[in-house]
Amino acid sequence: MQDVMNSNNHDTALAMKFSITKDKLVENVNHVMKAVSSKTTIPILTGIKITASHDGITLTGSNSDISIKSFIPLEENDEEYATIEKTGSVVLQARVFSDIVKKLPSEFVNIEVDSRLITRITSGSSEFNLNGLDAEEYPRLPLIEEGNVLHVRTDLLKHVIRQTGFAVSTSETRPVLTGVNWNIQNGNLNCVATDSHRLASRTISIDADENAEYKNIVIPGKSLNELSKILDDSSGEWVEIVITESQILFKTKHLQFYSRLLDGNYPDTNRLIPTESKTDIILSTKALLQAIDRASLLAKEERNNVVKFRTLEDSIEISSQSAELGRVFENVELQSLEGEELKISFSAKYMIDALSRIESQEIRISFTGAMRPFLIRPVEDEGILMLILPVRTY
Amino acid sequence: MDTAKKRARIIFHIDMNSFYASVETAHDPELRGKPLAIAGKVEDRRGIVVTSSYEARAQGVRTTMPVWEAKRHCPELIVKTPNFPLYRATSQRLFQLLRSYTPLVQKVSIDEGYMDVTEVASDIHPVQLAKSIQQKVLDTLKVPSSIGIAPNKFLAKMASDMKKPLGITVLRKRDIQSKLWPLAVGEMHGVGSKTEEKLKRIGIHTIGDLAKSDKAYIAERFGLYGEKLYERANGIDHRMVDPEAEETFKSISQSTTLSDDTTSVAVVRKTLMMLAEKIEGRLRKKKVSAYQITLSIRYHDWKNISRGHTVKQPIQTKDDIMGHIMPIFHEHWDGRPIRLLGITVQSFEELGHASKQLDLFSYQSDLKDEPLIQAINQIESKFGEGMIGSAANYKNAHRSRKKDAGHDH
Repeated sequence: MQDVMNSNNHDTALAMKFSITKDKLVENVNHVMKAVSSKTTIPILTGIKITASHDGITLTGSNSDISIKSFIPLEENDEEYATIEKTGSVVLQARVFSDIVKKLPSEFVNIEVDSRLITRITSGSSEFNLNGLDAEEYPRLPLIEEGNVLHVRTDLLKHVIRQTGFAVSTSETRPVLTGVNWNIQNGNLNCVATDSHRLASRTISIDADENAEYKNIVIPGKSLNELSKILDDSSGEWVEIVITESQILFKTKHLQFYSRLLDGNYPDTNRLIPTESKTDIILSTKALLQAIDRASLLAKEERNNVVKFRTLEDSIEISSQSAELGRVFENVELQSLEGEELKISFSAKYMIDALSRIESQEIRISFTGAMRPFLIRPVEDEGILMLILPVRTY
Repeated sequence: MDTAKKRARIIFHIDMNSFYASVETAHDPELRGKPLAIAGKVEDRRGIVVTSSYEARAQGVRTTMPVWEAKRHCPELIVKTPNFPLYRATSQRLFQLLRSYTPLVQKVSIDEGYMDVTEVASDIHPVQLAKSIQQKVLDTLKVPSSIGIAPNKFLAKMASDMKKPLGITVLRKRDIQSKLWPLAVGEMHGVGSKTEEKLKRIGIHTIGDLAKSDKAYIAERFGLYGEKLYERANGIDHRMVDPEAEETFKSISQSTTLSDDTTSVAVVRKTLMMLAEKIEGRLRKKKVSAYQITLSIRYHDWKNISRGHTVKQPIQTKDDIMGHIMPIFHEHWDGRPIRLLGITVQSFEELGHASKQLDLFSYQSDLKDEPLIQAINQIESKFGEGMIGSAANYKNAHRSRKKDAGHDH
């Protein structure tokens, strides 16, 4: 009887209570939702962990690949976001919680958890009561010791991700190719991705310890894609990066993004990149991109998206044909042409993917033969390289 | 489409009645009037009835029934293994005969096809024409057929099904309500058992139910396919009889039931290798390469799975097939005993049009052909394109004009 009395007392006791602006809550719930998967072997990971502490509110979402921690300070830049009445934590079903907060009627949300973990969410005249789970059951995020920290500007990091992430493999045949390979050496970060039909490589200089050296860091392409979505490049912030044996952590002021690293040795792609060339052309990126884009209107109906490409005296001819639709020819003027004449076929899609990620106005394309990989590089900037394997026609 | 609307067409659908069994009977008069079943290997459980004569059907023998069960229904059943070369040859003669009436003949499979007889029937009544075709086929090939007569392919197909054997059925647009609508929706050409189930779940049991349902609703649930079904149920079908279409086939499949259920990877590999070899042979014969490959597994409890993917390198040889099929197997096999294995390849490209997306890690192996390709390019730039090509393509160009009576679909 005594016990029952006690537990009754506990039931009404407050386990956590805070109020928060709806917009801030929605924004941060959206961030951590990127890590929440409905398909997980650990049931509690279908939830979002909410922790109220004296300095703010932390949301956590996680799946087997990535974990995201998003922090909402009580106030920032003279704006008040939240007030805490009682610190504590709870885990709420992510999908439902996320749907609820988006639809709440007022610009403020009160969240109150009792000792039975019943969570009352009120906003305006609306009230939800959700069954919470014990936050103690929520797995701890990996502890990452902050030895070497690398610093990269947020906008640059997003750029690098955009320029390499598209080339990762989507097939699990060689799992390591579903990631982007990072190598850090001499203050440079080199990122390489390939699905074995094309390759993208980008090198940037970063702010790191001269001696910092990391090899064979393979980050899942999906992780980088999600990271890129939630990084805000308008603030001019820097991202801190910490790398361990099996994890990588990206940290901004209010965000911690953990990703698993892929096992396995990334193939040595350096030796696969041709060093000499037989035909070199320089031309306008935009003119080529648009011509290929037009040719692909027919090419995409065909297998492997094939467009044909051949050098003429001071231009190239791009053509494509579809058995059903017809054919297309277009000439693109060249700035320069050196070496042998060439006829080659390749996938319009791969070409468009590569060209649309090069910002410079003029590119150099270096060919070594109709059945060998060719390279696309900006005329000026040596930090970026796109490689495409041609299509063999019979 | 416009002409199709302006001018009513007369379409025949010709369906051979229990074709394999009829062909067997035609070649062995001893079999006439007796219950006959064509089945796979009779001695083991691969023996499943592929088709049977009307005499056998009358005693409860059904297609896909195991032989032992068929024999229980009909103890005096004569079981023969299929003689595909004979069936193909007969089919070839059949379509030759049909083409002597009009060039507008479209072969759908080894034993059925469409004819557009609009022109031919201008000076003979369609039913007379159908009777004469049916008689001619019976006289020369000794094989009975049923003919459906209708203003479009769908109705003709439905009509030929209505009276068998040796039936002739006319299905006009105005007959739809009385003849078509009362039929169960599962009887409708194009509706498989899965679709039938789904339709029933939303209260559509007859073709009439479907015809009177809401088109937008059906389209929303079943997509373009649903829209077509809705139209067909209302007797609308704009497809033309296309004599070229017979040359295209969509997939090649090989499958085999194992003599014992197995969990042995070695047995699986050996079996798949055997199937892959057969498929390689069929691909070579067709002069095509495939870009899609599917593995089918039937477990001991008759649960089926099929898993596949689309590839960028053309599949031509058994090694190509094995290179794709074993990883698919390892990824999807759940360890339970396997009863049947099958491989399907589809998405074909004629060898001459094939293209291969080269691979960064293996393109070196293609380089052995580089000098040849360079030589071809040089000759072409001197004498013009198409002056030279590989011998395989050359042969293909001629071969593709010949009729092929294969039963790929």
